[in-house]
Amino acid sequence: MLRYFFQDPFNALAGWLQSHLVLPILYATGGMRWEDIGFGWSLFAVYGLAQVLVTFAVCLPLEQLAPVERRPLGREVLTDVFYTLLSRVGLLPIVTFVLFYQVQVTVTGFFVDRGWIPPTLETLLPGLLGHPVATFFLYAVILDFADYWRHRLSHRFDWWYALHAVHHAQRQMTFWSDDRNHLLDDFLSALWFGAIALAIGIPPFQFPLLVLLLRFVESLSHANARVSFGWLGERLVVSPRFHRAHHGVPAAGRQSCNYGGVLPWWDMIFGTADFSSRYAPTGDPTAEEAMASGSYPAQQWAGVRRLGRTLLGRKLLGQGSAGYSR
Amino acid sequence: MSRPPLPTRRTLLATVPAALAATSLATSASAAAPIVGGGLAFVMNSAAANIGVIDMAREREIARLPVFRQPHHWALAPDGRTLLVGDAAGNGLFFLDPARGTMLGHRPFPDPYQLWFSPDGRFLVTAALRLNRVYVWQPGTLRLLKRFDIASMPSHIAFAPDSSMVYLSLQGTDRLAAIDLGALALRWVAPVGPAPAGVMWHRGQLLVGIMGSDYVSVVDPADGRVRERLPAGKGAHALFLDPEERRIYVGNRIAGTITAYDAASLARVRTYDRPGGADCMGFAPDGRIWMTLRWAAHVAILDPASGRSTTFPVGRSPHGLFLSNSPTLASRQGQMLNSA
Repeated sequence: MLRYFFQDPFNALAGWLQSHLVLPILYATGGMRWEDIGFGWSLFAVYGLAQVLVTFAVCLPLEQLAPVERRPLGREVLTDVFYTLLSRVGLLPIVTFVLFYQVQVTVTGFFVDRGWIPPTLETLLPGLLGHPVATFFLYAVILDFADYWRHRLSHRFDWWYALHAVHHAQRQMTFWSDDRNHLLDDFLSALWFGAIALAIGIPPFQFPLLVLLLRFVESLSHANARVSFGWLGERLVVSPRFHRAHHGVPAAGRQSCNYGGVLPWWDMIFGTADFSSRYAPTGDPTAEEAMASGSYPAQQWAGVRRLGRTLLGRKLLGQGSAGYSR
Repeated sequence: MSRPPLPTRRTLLATVPAALAATSLATSASAAAPIVGGGLAFVMNSAAANIGVIDMAREREIARLPVFRQPHHWALAPDGRTLLVGDAAGNGLFFLDPARGTMLGHRPFPDPYQLWFSPDGRFLVTAALRLNRVYVWQPGTLRLLKRFDIASMPSHIAFAPDSSMVYLSLQGTDRLAAIDLGALALRWVAPVGPAPAGVMWHRGQLLVGIMGSDYVSVVDPADGRVRERLPAGKGAHALFLDPEERRIYVGNRIAGTITAYDAASLARVRTYDRPGGADCMGFAPDGRIWMTLRWAAHVAILDPASGRSTTFPVGRSPHGLFLSNSPTLASRQGQMLNSA
């Protein structure tokens, strides 16, 4: 068994977590119906922890060696750490599993009862069956394309940007900033990807290293590091320099650039790429201070307030926007 | 060692029901494996999106057959020539040659979590755990006869020996459901214990593993009334009767044990330590019990006499387990063919 741990440490740790923590809790609380999903969550949590550790091990030295800004880490970075742990290891995966399990049951059941069985990518492209790595990469490209448009629309609509501003309000961007999102913004993202999943199926779950790689690129792109991948590399994978342009003060709000999460291709195709070599200061001047430097609850509440003002302002004024865009 | 000839489209059409012929046959050539004299075991690796094919004599995996997402359980077609494996999250039904360990094809199918043919071979019943549906199909054509919307999480399946009724545990509740297959009507839904899992018809009554507690409910199949509770370990799950019909085994998920009952008296006779999430069991010709360990990604082989067990690695979250040479299977198959 010990040898197996080194063959598949993800599963070994997830199995231990499932047997010694998740199942006893489910048993004690009358939740044994979720035991199968519990193992999915255990795997998710182990992947998440591995993502955090790998990102930490790589990005921290980079930020020390080649920082864009030299300043001591503020309290708001600690809040970003909390966001990361919540998002990748803790509560959010549980909520995602339980909530979207129910949504998926309802929606899939609706279609199945009417004779349409939601496909997987392999049923749409039968040649993919038996080639899981190729399947995974194709899923990654499709989902990254979908994420480009989700991200772009979250800047386009004022009410959506009112929530997304939590992500942009951070003035001291670090590799921890990737998961700094409003809960409602996360919810909208999950809905967005839920719809995609219904159309092409959910991606396979058996390639933790590839998942790790994708999430690592996203975290790295937020690092406070003067790192560029060179002329060609910048056009293949999103770099810290490329994504910093998106977080730069001039790009906050409606007229932004570099929306891509992992691949810069979509920005190149749709004319939103900025490959200039400047490293602008980050943040959103229109965001209230609580959104930038408040605690986790303060940031979340600030997002709700801004959303309320945006929606209310539109209703009262009868206008198409509430004036937060630049 | 010479490789047996690959099945052609013509031989496939001759051996599988008509509905299967309409499935995709693209994977059959690439997934071919040799016939193995000692028998083959099939392990449904539910978190690895594949089915492991095991050489039982060498206790080693010899092939992995890809599926879409989550293979969970299986059913052997009444003619014994086709093994059906349900891919629940992938909404697909896969067809395998149990003798050769090859993939024959697949077709779209709504959430086939558990599936089983009635003893008379007239019905295929599938439990769509995720969708809260139970489907009754006509084997061969796979024409839907009736859909039942039953909340929540219909899971394990057991039939009355005369195929008049099918019973399903509703894992998301404390209930067991009974469906009259003659009338295609829901007869009763009754409380049997929290998060019921495995169901087994045994000598005129139903045994139900109560996963949310530590017992097996003995249930009256006429009305679902609980007659008795048999003590088990915490997290009692699926139940299996050995080929000699002397012992009944139940895996206990939380306790990490397996409880053995005397099949005649239902008295608990032995408890085996077997952590790792024991799930599906199969009885090998040598008397040993093969079982999937869901959280350990291993298959364990338990010698019930000595209590010793060995393990070997398989894919992630192994769930369903099919042994091609199991005496239990031969007995059940004979029963199905005789009554068909």
